[in-house]
Amino acid sequence: MPSTLPPYALPGTLLGPATKYLPGPGTHIHESHIYSSIAGNVRSTTSRAAPPPTPTNKPPTTNTPTTPSTPTPANNTKSKPLPLLTVSRDDAAEGQDTMGILGVGGGAGNPILPEVESIVLARVTRLGQRFASVEILVVGDSVCRESFQGMIRREDVRATEKDKVKIEESFRVGDLVRGVVISLGDQSNYYLSTAQNELGVVMAKSEAGNTMYPVSWKEFVDAKTGARERRKVAKPF
Amino acid sequence: MAALSDRRRINAPSGGTSAPVFSKALKEPGYLEELRPQRIRAPKELRKIFLQTSIIPSASGSAYLEIPNAPSSHPATLIPPTSSLKIAASVQGPKPLPRSAPFSPTLLLSTTVKFAPFATRHRRGYIRDAAERDLGVHLETALRGVIIGERWPKSGVEIVVTVLEGDEGAWWGQEGGSNGSGWGLLNVLAGCITAAGSAIIDAGIDCVDMVSGGVAAFVQDPSADGRLLVLDPSPAEHRDIIAACAVGYLHSRDEVTEVWLRGDAGLEAADSLIEGAAQAAEGSFSVMKEVFIENLEKNGNAQGLEGAGGKRKHADVEMAG
Repeated sequence: MPSTLPPYALPGTLLGPATKYLPGPGTHIHESHIYSSIAGNVRSTTSRAAPPPTPTNKPPTTNTPTTPSTPTPANNTKSKPLPLLTVSRDDAAEGQDTMGILGVGGGAGNPILPEVESIVLARVTRLGQRFASVEILVVGDSVCRESFQGMIRREDVRATEKDKVKIEESFRVGDLVRGVVISLGDQSNYYLSTAQNELGVVMAKSEAGNTMYPVSWKEFVDAKTGARERRKVAKPF
Repeated sequence: MAALSDRRRINAPSGGTSAPVFSKALKEPGYLEELRPQRIRAPKELRKIFLQTSIIPSASGSAYLEIPNAPSSHPATLIPPTSSLKIAASVQGPKPLPRSAPFSPTLLLSTTVKFAPFATRHRRGYIRDAAERDLGVHLETALRGVIIGERWPKSGVEIVVTVLEGDEGAWWGQEGGSNGSGWGLLNVLAGCITAAGSAIIDAGIDCVDMVSGGVAAFVQDPSADGRLLVLDPSPAEHRDIIAACAVGYLHSRDEVTEVWLRGDAGLEAADSLIEGAAQAAEGSFSVMKEVFIENLEKNGNAQGLEGAGGKRKHADVEMAG
């Protein structure tokens, strides 16, 4: 049983008992011990800003198939929050340092998937009567290797007067939208919502093809022609 | 057969080309037998392994594995006595599933193993044949047990393994030709498991452990009353292989995800065969581990260098069972 944490870990490296640490991204629990599941640097963060672990298990803490029942260490969270163990690949070395035989940047980059509640940037690809199709380009702070299909349904565009929403007055094809993932959706689409002040169209071009700037919560103005177009506008910073 | 149905490419003659037979081999009956390679390693000693990750920039993870052939003991001939193993594995994804695919709450794994046309002495076709599909299924079984699929809903990952040079099943000078009865495929599978396992880790896909492959075999040995257990057999070096086994082995959990046993071993012997193969897999694991630790150190994290890693020397590891 290692008393101190190793600086880095490989998949299957024992990191510590599940009673002393919380499993974060890059780890998994097996027989009530925390093991690393990727090759990377081990970090242990005593949660200062992180909220006391709510029982809503995020995907990293889901049990592996070989661990049918694991005692969740959430019972003594009231006394003292346990340090969160994460294993992460070094992003700083991405790109320049990883020199492969065939060139630069082999194997770099964290594979990422949109999760429920992640903030994403997406481009509108198609408008329908009841929904707008988008492709998700950025999840959180990281750019996706490949875009994911997403969908904003009419009732998820804004929080108020949902019944009066018109898709064509909220989005246009080509708009860049900031949204939140509300569901992993069906086989092909992630479901996004823009029903918050901070969410909505962040970048749009007018019909004339010029960039526009937002003037109100529902309008953009073309900088050149002065034409106004209706959008579901994300709150400008 | 596969080459015959392949109408899209210009194929080589189906018989393949054969190495020149020199008159010396015909005049002196014993000469050819002299060229037969001998195993000079200890029974539990593995061949040297070269492994490198991140070699293919466009893939999210990749690895290259090479087990070089033994230095030729006979300078008189140009034909290498044994074959070497060269395998490149790449991981594409995880990426969103195609539109037509049904919803999947876990990661969908698909593996492809393909021999390059020039990989063996007998030329291979461009279309995957039965042996290659078989290897693909075995590889998928080995990898499925190690990947934590629940972390990647609605996505798929493709593992493409190209065998650039495959271990042959028997010595080329033997009557049956170099194919033997396919003993070399076990070595290829073990190499595929090690290479693909490294590529998956390189891609950063969550795994419960590191999976590595290993082979053990029972060979006919007159000195040790009948059969002898050898690790990492090079089929060309053994006249008669009785039974052989390849496993995919998880080091820290001490679990086996894949067993491929062939030949006539018998029950107790099968146990010791699997045990031996796991021991060989342990050897490939130590190479994998070294490679990844070296990678992590090279990425220059200061805390890693002053820790246990500071004392490490970047030297090649001599493999000795």
